[in-house]
Amino acid sequence: METIELLERLAQSRGVAGQESAAAEVACAELKQYAESVAVDPMGSVTAVIKRGSPLVLLDAHLDEIGLIVTWLGDNGFLKAGAVGGVDRRLLIAQEVVILAEEPVEGVIASKPPHLLSAEEEKKVPKVDDLWIDTGYTSEELRKRVKLGDRIIFKSGFHKLLGGRVCSKALDDRAGVAAVLRALELLKNEPLSCGLAATFTCQEELGCLGAKTASYTVEPDLAVTVDVSFAHTPDAPEHKCGKLGGGTMIGISPTLDKGVSDALTALAQEKEIPYQLEVMGGLTSTNADSITVSRGGVKCGLLSIPLRYMHTPIETIDPADVESTARLMAEFVKKAGGKNA
Amino acid sequence: MLKILEELCLLSGVSGNEGAVRDYIISRIDGFCDWRIDSLGSIIAAKQGKKRAIKKLLVSSHMDEVGFIVTGVNEAGLLLFSAVGGVDARVVLGRSVLVGPGKLTGVIGTKAVHMQSADERETAVPMDSLYIDIGAKDKEDALSHVALGDRVSFQPLYQPFGSGLIRGKALDDRIGCAMMIELIRSELEYDTVFTFVVQEEVGLRGARTASYTVDPEIAIVLEATTAADLPDVSGEKQVCKLGNGPVVSFMDRSTSYDNGLYQKAFSLAKENGIPCQTKTMIAGGNDAGAIHVSRGGVRTLAVSAPCRYIHSPVCVVKESDLLHMAELVKLLVRDFAGGKDE
Repeated sequence: METIELLERLAQSRGVAGQESAAAEVACAELKQYAESVAVDPMGSVTAVIKRGSPLVLLDAHLDEIGLIVTWLGDNGFLKAGAVGGVDRRLLIAQEVVILAEEPVEGVIASKPPHLLSAEEEKKVPKVDDLWIDTGYTSEELRKRVKLGDRIIFKSGFHKLLGGRVCSKALDDRAGVAAVLRALELLKNEPLSCGLAATFTCQEELGCLGAKTASYTVEPDLAVTVDVSFAHTPDAPEHKCGKLGGGTMIGISPTLDKGVSDALTALAQEKEIPYQLEVMGGLTSTNADSITVSRGGVKCGLLSIPLRYMHTPIETIDPADVESTARLMAEFVKKAGGKNA
Repeated sequence: MLKILEELCLLSGVSGNEGAVRDYIISRIDGFCDWRIDSLGSIIAAKQGKKRAIKKLLVSSHMDEVGFIVTGVNEAGLLLFSAVGGVDARVVLGRSVLVGPGKLTGVIGTKAVHMQSADERETAVPMDSLYIDIGAKDKEDALSHVALGDRVSFQPLYQPFGSGLIRGKALDDRIGCAMMIELIRSELEYDTVFTFVVQEEVGLRGARTASYTVDPEIAIVLEATTAADLPDVSGEKQVCKLGNGPVVSFMDRSTSYDNGLYQKAFSLAKENGIPCQTKTMIAGGNDAGAIHVSRGGVRTLAVSAPCRYIHSPVCVVKESDLLHMAELVKLLVRDFAGGKDE
């Protein structure tokens, strides 16, 4: 299945918040086959005009992934880092990382052996600031290769699980990027009466910042943003989670446009696209929070791909949920040219 | 030796399931010694030297590695598991692993950081609350792919990095295995017996039976040992340091080593210009604990490679330490088997 190759290409590309350019290149290369024009804005977001027209519909997903940033170079190849985005500190020890220096540098997050820890220390999760990253270089060599501010990603492969499920770092939100690209593919030969734009935005993990500027620039009338949301595991509250493989999650929230949410739900029913509802009480912690209040306001909906183990190197999704998300977005765009808005 | 070490690190051999490692080792030593497999699964290999040994010498390394074992499957199709050996509990979460003989990929995660309470974020997760997700849709689906008792290992890894370092899975104790393969394939002065043993990580069990069978006068255990040479660990707490050569211990938590052999190792290293260090804490333990009390007692020495992040999926060693260790061990084998053990 081609979607899986696309997911792998996107998820394995490197783009920690604030240093998304490598991931942007991969996304741009995919976008070019569908777009009239593709540009990278001053913040680092990718914006594309697929077709000019009115109303202008925007499909959006964020490009950045969580990671770390080099804050201090120590002796004997050890360095210190800060968190970029909501890193789960409980799993940092002995993870392999790649420092995105000019020449990528591989490293391991160091740990004191258990016999040096007090019983109390053993139970406590270390602060990011307490950890060292071991690059194996001499002090001198480290300084030649790594600069303060270089971003750091988790090194993790792209793995296939049973039932077609896949796992990788950065599926939050490259799975969303893949869904938008797949929607554009589905729309490729459709005669659209509306306009269509796409954005793959930077710095979502730092507070949906890229979506602020990108949606200002694109100036859409309608938007659907795609992010990932929690897929249920037995240790999580069921009412806060969707089901992995249960279909695209249609967002309902006071901060999202009710008309768009309703239209997405009606279309999913009409076209028999698997879906589930995700109800939130306020802000969605996605790009929708920025897009809805861009310029004079944008009617914006949210689709989420259920994902297990968010913000870890082993984020897990079912590609069928990417497909249902893409199909629903495509149907929404087709309808937007008519009286849907 | 490094090529062999790489191939060994890419194999899975969680305690009690060392078959793949054993088969590989046999493929490398067959024709260079007389070997057999004992009742527990250890390899006992008798290597003929140019001369008969003055003292019967055993050199031993373990084939097994730490990992996990599947103990159950829940209704959601997630696998419950126990640790096999002393897996560092802090390194389990957020990993992908290989499950069972079919090497299915599984991942070990929990609910997302966003849904954790402030307390939960600060507290290490106990291993018995974790599960392995292989993507099965329910219990029945999972059980059609996995059986209780299947072993689970960390992902294969062997990669040089930095200035002459190597990171890998199961460097403890494939380093010892790789060195013994090299010795068996080389020409030795004196007859020497080598054992590649099972079940070290679950209580030094393979070494106990193999050393009984071999009945040696002197034994050398080849191992990897904890190095804590990190920036905020100082002095004796570092235990040993990468780059300072092989580690010869006077005592650890399983053995008080033979003082004569200990002294001999250092004098031999010095005579030959090989860097060599000792452990500065009484920490860790290895097969020497079983071997030195075998039958009526065996004079025993342990020579180890200093290794950071031991019992994690990413162990780190220095290439120069491995080469120096191999050099020293070769000399020790010659002298001990030749009766020059003081």
